[in-house]
Amino acid sequence: MDVTEILKSLTGRFPEAISEAIVESEIRARAYVDKDGVKEVCQYLKDSLQFDHLCVVCGVDYIKRNEIEVVYHIASYNHPVVLMLKAILPRENPEIESIVSVYWNSNWYERETYELYGIVFKNHPNLKPLILPEDMLGEWPLRKDYKGFPNKTARNLV
Amino acid sequence: MEERLEPNEMIIHLGPQHPMQPGPFRLNLRLKGETVVDADIELGYIHKGIEKILENKTYLQGITIVDRICYLVALVNEECFVGCVEKLLDIEPPERSKYIRVILEELTRIQSHLLGIGEFAEFIGFVSMFMYAIRERENVVGLIDMVTGARITHSYLKFGGVRDDLPDGFKEKTLSVLNGLKKEIDNFEQMFHTDRIYRERTVGVGVLTADAAKNLGVSGPVLRATGVPFDIRKNEPYLVYKDLDFKVCTETAGDCFARVQVRLNEIRESIYILEQCLDQIPEGPLFPENSLYGRRTPVMRVPAGEVFHRVEDPRGEMGMYMVSDGSDRPYRVKIRGPYYPTLQALPPLIIGTTVADVASISGSMDGCTSEADR
Repeated sequence: MDVTEILKSLTGRFPEAISEAIVESEIRARAYVDKDGVKEVCQYLKDSLQFDHLCVVCGVDYIKRNEIEVVYHIASYNHPVVLMLKAILPRENPEIESIVSVYWNSNWYERETYELYGIVFKNHPNLKPLILPEDMLGEWPLRKDYKGFPNKTARNLV
Repeated sequence: MEERLEPNEMIIHLGPQHPMQPGPFRLNLRLKGETVVDADIELGYIHKGIEKILENKTYLQGITIVDRICYLVALVNEECFVGCVEKLLDIEPPERSKYIRVILEELTRIQSHLLGIGEFAEFIGFVSMFMYAIRERENVVGLIDMVTGARITHSYLKFGGVRDDLPDGFKEKTLSVLNGLKKEIDNFEQMFHTDRIYRERTVGVGVLTADAAKNLGVSGPVLRATGVPFDIRKNEPYLVYKDLDFKVCTETAGDCFARVQVRLNEIRESIYILEQCLDQIPEGPLFPENSLYGRRTPVMRVPAGEVFHRVEDPRGEMGMYMVSDGSDRPYRVKIRGPYYPTLQALPPLIIGTTVADVASISGSMDGCTSEADR
C-alpha cells in the first residue's frame, strides 16, 4: 500500500482530528492527531488500512513548550509503512483515551508511559505502575524537570 | 488477585528468582488443582533506567550503554542505536563496513538461538542438551571475540562504520566453525524429532494461532512459528540484506516444538548468509571518505530531528525512536524491545494449561527480562 494513499485516506476520513500529515519517505509517515480522536483513528487504521501491529507507545516531554507528546508508532504485518501519530497534551494533568481495546499490546506501553510521565490513560483496564515501585509514583522520572535519583528513593533506604 | 480466591484455589509465585526464568520477573499463578486459572506478571526487578541514562550521555557514550539492554544481542542493539544516529546525520557506512556488521549480527543471531534452544531444553529437563548447545555457542562467541575483543558487550559499531577490520584468518576459522555447526544442528534436530519425552512436552503445548499472535503483537520466531512471514530484514531491508539471498523460516503449528524448529532453521539460514557474506565482502575503507566520522569521532552534535529505526533482533522486531534537539546528547530515546510484547503475551497463553507446561511455554519464548525491564 502506498504511503501517500494511506495519508490521503486518513485525512479524508478524519479532516478535523488529523493535522500536519507529512510523508517522510517511502516507508515512513507522520501526523498529529487530536487527543480526543485517537481511539477512532486507531480503529480506522486497524480495520481499513491494514495497520494491525502497534510498535510502540511512548511519551516525550517538551518542557520549553510546556507540552507532553504521546507518540504512537503503528505498523503492519503486511506492508512496511510505519505511521507515527502524535498527540499533544498539556504538562499539567495530561489525559488521553486508552487504545487497549483496539491494540491489545498497548496495555503495558500505556502503563509504562503513565508511571514515567504521569499521563493518565482513560478507560485503561489496569492502570498501575509496571516497572517502577509503587512509592516512585508521582515522581514522573522521565520528565525533564525530574531532580534525580536520590531525592526520594535513597532516603527511604537510610 | 487474592480477593477472588475460592476455597479450592491457591496462588503460587514463580520467581522473581526461579530456575525456569531467563531473568528476574514474578509470575503470580492462581491455580485450581493443577490448572492455571489466572496469571499476572510483575516486572521491574532489573530496571536499569537505560532510557534516562541515554538522555544524559553523549551519543558516543550511548553505544556502550545500549550494549547493556540485553547482553546476548549487544551487537543488534548497537546496530539499532547507530542506525538511528546515522539516519539523523544522513551518513551511510561504506560497503565493507556493512558486510562486517551483517557478519557479526548473524553470528550474534546464531549464538543467541543456540543459547535459547539449550536453555529451553534445560527448562523441560533435558539438561545434557544445554551442554551440547553451549559447547557450540562457545565457538561462535569465540569468533565474535576474535573480531571485537569482547565476548558479550562489544562497543564495536561506530557512526558510519565499525571500529576494526576483520583479523587475519577470520574467514577460514569461521568456515570451519560453521561446518562443524551444520552437523551439530542436524544432530540437534534429529534428537528433538525422535525424543519421545521431548515431543510430549512440546508438541501441541502453548499453541498460538496466526490471528491470535498478530492480535497479541508478538514478533520474531514466536510469530513465524504460526506461519506469518514477518521479518524486518525482508520487510524493511537495512545494511546489505537486500543483496543477500535468504528465506524467512516459518512453521505452521504455532506450538513450542515449532518455535524451536524455527530457531534451528534460522541458524541454518544465518550460516548460509554468513557464507555469502564471506564470499562477497569487498575490500575498501571502513568509514565514508571525506567524512568527519571515523574511528576517532570528534565531539559531535547531531542535527535536530526524529527517527524511528527498526532492525531484526534474534527475538523479533527491535526498534528505537530517537529525538534529537541539535545538542550532543539525545533528547529522548525510546527502546522498543522484542521481548516486551512477547512477555506481555505470556499470561493469556498459560491460562488454562497445567503448571508443568508453564516452564515449557515460557522457555520456548527465549526470553531476556533484562531487555523487557531496560
